[in-house]
Amino acid sequence: MRWLLSLLLLGYLSAVQALSVAGTRLLVVLEDGAEREKYGAFLGDLEARGFHITTEAPKSDSLSLFKHGERTYDHVVLLPCLAKGLGPALSANVLLDFMKKEGNVLVALSSERSTPAAVQSLLLELDIHIPSDKGALVVDHFNYDSTSAADKHDVLLLPYPTTLKTGVTNYFGGDGLIAVPRAVGQTLGNESPLTAPILRAPCTAYSYNPKDEADSAEDPFATGSQLNIVSAMQAHNSARLTVIGSAEMLQNAWFAEKATLSGKAVKTANRDFAEKVSAWAFKEVGVLKVGKLVHYQDEGVSKKVNTSVAIPENNPKIYRIKSDVTFAVEISEYDKTHYVPFVPPEGDAIQLEFSMLSPFHRLNLRPISQTANSTIFGTSFRTPDQHGIFNFRINYRRPFVTNIDEKRQVTVRHFAHDEWPRSWQISGAWVWIAGVWVTVAGWIAFVAVWLWSAPANTVKKTQ
Amino acid sequence: MRFLLSSFFLAGASTVAAASSWSFEDATLTIQPKGAGVGTGDKVQLVPELPLAKPVSLGTTDTLKLLLTATDGKSAKRPHQAFLTLADRSSGLEDSFVLKVKDNGKGKVELTQKDLPIQFLTSEQPLEASIVIGSFGSSAPLKAKVFELDVTRDPNTPLAVPEKPLRYAVDKEIHHIFKDDPKSPPKIITLVFAAAVTACLPVLLGVWAALGANLSHLTKAMSNAPIPHALFFGSILAMEGIFFMYYTSWNLFQTLPAAAIVAVVAFLSGGRALSEVQERRLAGLR
Repeated sequence: MRWLLSLLLLGYLSAVQALSVAGTRLLVVLEDGAEREKYGAFLGDLEARGFHITTEAPKSDSLSLFKHGERTYDHVVLLPCLAKGLGPALSANVLLDFMKKEGNVLVALSSERSTPAAVQSLLLELDIHIPSDKGALVVDHFNYDSTSAADKHDVLLLPYPTTLKTGVTNYFGGDGLIAVPRAVGQTLGNESPLTAPILRAPCTAYSYNPKDEADSAEDPFATGSQLNIVSAMQAHNSARLTVIGSAEMLQNAWFAEKATLSGKAVKTANRDFAEKVSAWAFKEVGVLKVGKLVHYQDEGVSKKVNTSVAIPENNPKIYRIKSDVTFAVEISEYDKTHYVPFVPPEGDAIQLEFSMLSPFHRLNLRPISQTANSTIFGTSFRTPDQHGIFNFRINYRRPFVTNIDEKRQVTVRHFAHDEWPRSWQISGAWVWIAGVWVTVAGWIAFVAVWLWSAPANTVKKTQ
Repeated sequence: MRFLLSSFFLAGASTVAAASSWSFEDATLTIQPKGAGVGTGDKVQLVPELPLAKPVSLGTTDTLKLLLTATDGKSAKRPHQAFLTLADRSSGLEDSFVLKVKDNGKGKVELTQKDLPIQFLTSEQPLEASIVIGSFGSSAPLKAKVFELDVTRDPNTPLAVPEKPLRYAVDKEIHHIFKDDPKSPPKIITLVFAAAVTACLPVLLGVWAALGANLSHLTKAMSNAPIPHALFFGSILAMEGIFFMYYTSWNLFQTLPAAAIVAVVAFLSGGRALSEVQERRLAGLR
């Protein structure tokens, strides 16, 4: 236990220096130096935020995501290449294995270059669908940049995304307009809870292929807000995959470009949005950490949770049924440089389940107090009237934040023989208790009479 | 929000409509019941400026048919985008249906309930239907709310609603429901019966007294064999006392040694005391 804690402490200390919780080794896959120039500002920003960037060409011999079965990079950025394939070192399987080892992947697509088969099958595996034909792009005749795409309407100017739904934190909000040039739209499968849209297309947008000779969009790939420009997938192990539909969004040319939306001159906010998306993709934000998790029998005295990692949790292993228990857990959220107290968004709550196979209790935890970098959530409840092996479980899974799944097993025992109420406390037993003591008194009286009774005169007379 | 945005863009779009703008004319909306011939059914004229006042109702077997001519400025023209967009305001879901447009700008779309996603079929509110027409170039696009569509379903035909897919969100709270505590009968009943049981003792003693039971030989017995009698009766009292202690506070390991000691005393003294009683019986005093 103690080595684990010191490891945690070490991890924490190293995280203070680096920016991402997940590590700083970043691999950028792109074709040549000239390509790198185009993304110079984006990569420069990443370097300034503490990432160590390695640039490799897709089919380079030195390129390998694994060495001795361990990851050689923490994050991978796949930028569009001219080549059709990415080579054996970046097959869909290798990328999935990379994510299974908690590596993060950021994929940028481009409608001008064909999406490599490895990326296509990787996205398909994760239930993210892109148009299969090269060149398909998103157009919108309502929200386009009339400076650069007056005729083609394929450079969209979109506001920052709003909150996905109530109870979800928006890590991508901001002020301004984002230029989305020639994006490959994605649609998300309905089944997976792991995928989420980051930036949706406006309701009048649609995806079509300019190479189609048809004069009108007869059969668009997808329309309106079902079409995503940027989408995200967070696996069960919290590895993140981000798909950016338009790699051009990340290029210097669009980072602070003058554009015109409906006659109004605006400046694109791509640099800020790219930072927000990459910060999320590489686990600089939205990373939760569970600190101490304590539970104890509530004897009417409220205990202060000691958050020091030097002191072990020291929780009871056994409780009685129907006893009052208090539970408290410490949760912090990583915010770019350090841990801050985690505050769940409006309409959301961290929930504690007290479960044996299925939950007997599922309770919303209230924030009790805050330390410098964590919030302590807690609740009190009464153990159910069922004995067995129970778990205190916090299973917190939400879009855009890393998963929390913490369990502490306890035994819940039955009443011991001397913990039941005594018989005189039960009014229904009074008749039987009276019977017992009447019998006792009668027996003593009988013994006395048997020992010391003299023959009765009346008996003598009858004899 | 989305509505706000689109209206904002719309407002913006109308201001730049310097050159020309997309619109439509001769729009007719027909709801055609199943089996009815071509050209039958209710026909409604649609105009881009004003939505219909009343929602249009689409039954289970009806076909919605929308015909229009898209125009760019004054002339009929084929736009690149001609959609009929349905939106459910409560869920925010939108779906667009493509109008097949010919070169002369005449467009057509047909819809039945089978084409609609399940969320539209179960929607409580009427769906908002807009026509979106836009194309490349500088002409301003059009998004006009034209009517409301009320999807009426036959309540007798069940709808196969697919199971809701899993989404991570806050779950319903569960509070364990405890079994009821065991209950005692009303105290008054208990007290009456307890009193009846207790009353048996005086009755028993009274009956014994009436039959001539007495303690007259106590002095005789105490003079003949004082120690055995005192010890024997005392040990019987002590045994009951031990039972009382066991009932209230002692555990079995405290009870057993004490009971053993008292039992030995009772056995030894009892022998003597009962011999004395036998002597009295032999003397004819019992």
